[in-house]
Amino acid sequence: MSIDWTSYDATRAWDELVTPDGASRPGADSVMRVLAGLSPEELAERKAAADVAIRAMGITFTVYSEDEDGGPAQIDREWPFDIVPRLVLKHEWDEVARGLKQRVKALNAFIDDVYHDQRAIRDGLVPADHILKSREFRQECIGIDPPHGVWSHVCGTDLVRDENGRLLVLEDNLRVPSGVSYMLENRAVMKRVFPELFEDYIIHPVDDYPLALAACLRSLAPGQDTMPVVAVLTPGIYNSAYFEHAYLAQTMAAELVEGPDLFVGDDDCVYMKTIAGVQRVDVIYRRIDDLFIDPEAFREDSILGVPGLMRAWRAGNVALANAPGCGVADDKVIYSYVPDMIRYYLAEEPLLANVPTYRCVEKQHRDFVLDNLDRLVVKPANESGGYGLLMGPMATHAERDAFARSIRANPRNYVAQPMISLSTAPTLTDGRVEARHLDLRPFILSGADTYVTTGGLTRVAMRKGSMVVNSSQGGGSKDTWVVEVEPSAGEASSAAGAGGRGEAGSSAGDVT
Amino acid sequence: MKKAVSAAPGPATPAGQARAAGGKRDILSRVAERVYWLGRYIERVESTARLVTVTSNLLMDLPVRLPLGWRPLIDITGSGPLFDSLFDEASEYNVCRFLISDARNPGSIIRSIEGVRENARTVRETMPRVTFEYVNDLHHFARSQLPPGTSRRRRREALDGVGSRVHQFEGFLSRNMLHDAHWTFLRLGNQLERADMTTRTIDVGSADLLAPGHDLEPFHEARWRSVLISLYAMQSYHAAVGQPVSRGPVLEFLLRAGNLPRSYARCLAQMRSSVRDLPRNRRPMRNCNTAIVALANADVAGLEGPALRAFMDECQQHLGRIHDSIAQTWFDFQPKPDPKKGKLAS
Repeated sequence: MSIDWTSYDATRAWDELVTPDGASRPGADSVMRVLAGLSPEELAERKAAADVAIRAMGITFTVYSEDEDGGPAQIDREWPFDIVPRLVLKHEWDEVARGLKQRVKALNAFIDDVYHDQRAIRDGLVPADHILKSREFRQECIGIDPPHGVWSHVCGTDLVRDENGRLLVLEDNLRVPSGVSYMLENRAVMKRVFPELFEDYIIHPVDDYPLALAACLRSLAPGQDTMPVVAVLTPGIYNSAYFEHAYLAQTMAAELVEGPDLFVGDDDCVYMKTIAGVQRVDVIYRRIDDLFIDPEAFREDSILGVPGLMRAWRAGNVALANAPGCGVADDKVIYSYVPDMIRYYLAEEPLLANVPTYRCVEKQHRDFVLDNLDRLVVKPANESGGYGLLMGPMATHAERDAFARSIRANPRNYVAQPMISLSTAPTLTDGRVEARHLDLRPFILSGADTYVTTGGLTRVAMRKGSMVVNSSQGGGSKDTWVVEVEPSAGEASSAAGAGGRGEAGSSAGDVT
Repeated sequence: MKKAVSAAPGPATPAGQARAAGGKRDILSRVAERVYWLGRYIERVESTARLVTVTSNLLMDLPVRLPLGWRPLIDITGSGPLFDSLFDEASEYNVCRFLISDARNPGSIIRSIEGVRENARTVRETMPRVTFEYVNDLHHFARSQLPPGTSRRRRREALDGVGSRVHQFEGFLSRNMLHDAHWTFLRLGNQLERADMTTRTIDVGSADLLAPGHDLEPFHEARWRSVLISLYAMQSYHAAVGQPVSRGPVLEFLLRAGNLPRSYARCLAQMRSSVRDLPRNRRPMRNCNTAIVALANADVAGLEGPALRAFMDECQQHLGRIHDSIAQTWFDFQPKPDPKKGKLAS
């Protein structure tokens, strides 16, 4: 049996392609028609073609597990990809992109403030402890002036769409966000597998990203050299994002370097070892966590980093992207202050809303969270990859009790949010399409200029009902199309900026 | 008044931009090392696959009672002690398993392909992207088609498949890869491995494999034929030499022919020309020259018995010294910032 859209259930959450009564959303009609026109064999063939393309292109990510003897092991898995695209309308995306630029601008202003005058603390915007006691606050960065006042040059912001179709910011990944190469590869796979779909649409290309990233990184170089040497610093082939590091270096024509390829000379400049001798490096896009970049400054046991790198950076002889210390704003407690930051630093109203967030460190919020654990999602302030969460409604009593104890013991370490029912999109599962939950991670570049990806990486929870989209935990992905539709093509899906501003629903401030 | 430079249309990709504006860039030492090993592994995959196939064919031509078997393959690949620690007998099954699919043998085809893949992964940003697809395909193919105990017929097809995938990969690179220093190191790895295989094959072939005092006169020169065939050089030999197969002309041909891609002389000449293209090449250049001179001064056709074996040993040592000087010059050097070379601090 071919795909039967009448049996598709789009009522469990906001669906990206299908309305609750089974009609197509603006722009989605062609995709639905083409899919419905394929026989089950053809559909299976397309799916297989996508798998073959992914395998042949070597699009992999690494998962860590245990081998038969319980030792550490890693497996290179082929990237899980769903052939049904996710659509975003161009005019909605333009609004979102403006909101993202605004957000990252405010975040960079905040980080720069943290390492300079700390007006945010003096003026009571964010309590001093939240900043100065953050695990990601780096004393070593105080007083440093990175080019353009930018600290987080590459930011990956996770967006979710709620039951009402509104896009909300779930978190900002300011340290070393990954995933952009998969966004680019998804498009390449889609073109191989479904070339005919591209005839019906004006789909905005995504492949200008490497060019934009290269320009962004070059704009950070010290000195006047028009063609500075840019290097991507990777932990090596055993890192889960190595594929991406190699991909970006290749498409930017940058050097892909590992720590031992570099050294800092007596002149506090960074050099790489080449067959002809040594070559000065101007900009390093580091894909290694702060604490590992320089064993002289941070973790002595790091073999991934380069001794003296912080010295060279402080002397202004090399640019580091993202700048060390920028993680101070990559914290789910700090996240809850971003709408206030936008008002404070930019004197603007936020264009994109946060998910309401309760800070357990504040007594009022904490009491509310502890009383409502069965309705909330509790997150550690500093983890990424979807680890360490409590999904209140799904959790057992014992799990909730354990979290309650952790929250009381270390309230600064936790925030809570209402359970957002993430939007869904049709996803191929065993020869039929079913609704699966998803999110969206666009990437924002900041250097001399600001740039936002066209769409971003859509991650899908492949298990029915699951809201965990992380690839390390069984998530997949979809190609994300930013499409133009005729202005007459019916009602626009609710734009991000259309609803309330700053916080969705009740503000985190009024808990009671 | 003439403007110095008019605005030229920009290249379409950032890659093009960087190359165009930045000019020639020197490659990282680590990358050079990886590409060099990639070249060595890919050559090893091809030559091992060829050895197994050719030996299977050869053995079908020989009478069963001839005590010439699969053992020479183990000796050619220089893995005797390891093989003996794992197997009791150099049977077809054991030798093929050991050389093709045995993960315990670092020189097996499957391990060499893993070496290719690992090195290709590390340098994937420096090679045309599609070549990584070829490498992946080679890996998946070998893993699925060459399990231990594959029948002769299936084995032959699969080994041919490995060979043609290697040729596809090399052919694509040769036609499409920028022939820059990456290419030079890749070729250097190819040539060194190839020279190594040629000299090993001659070395093993020169040993009296036939039991002494045998009465198999028609097979007297069989070992030289098998050496030629193992190196895919029989047809070339007939075309270029035009004499019956015998020790003197075969040695002359395999060691000194300037037009045989696999001859020792040709490999040395190619290595020398690769080395000449690279910076700071004094020591590797000197070692290449020494090996070339030693070959030129040898009475190749007159080499026989212990003298031949000693000469092949000497060739192996020359290759070892060339490899060491390549590694010391370009891979493992201790850097010092040179203010004239690097840009000065701004």
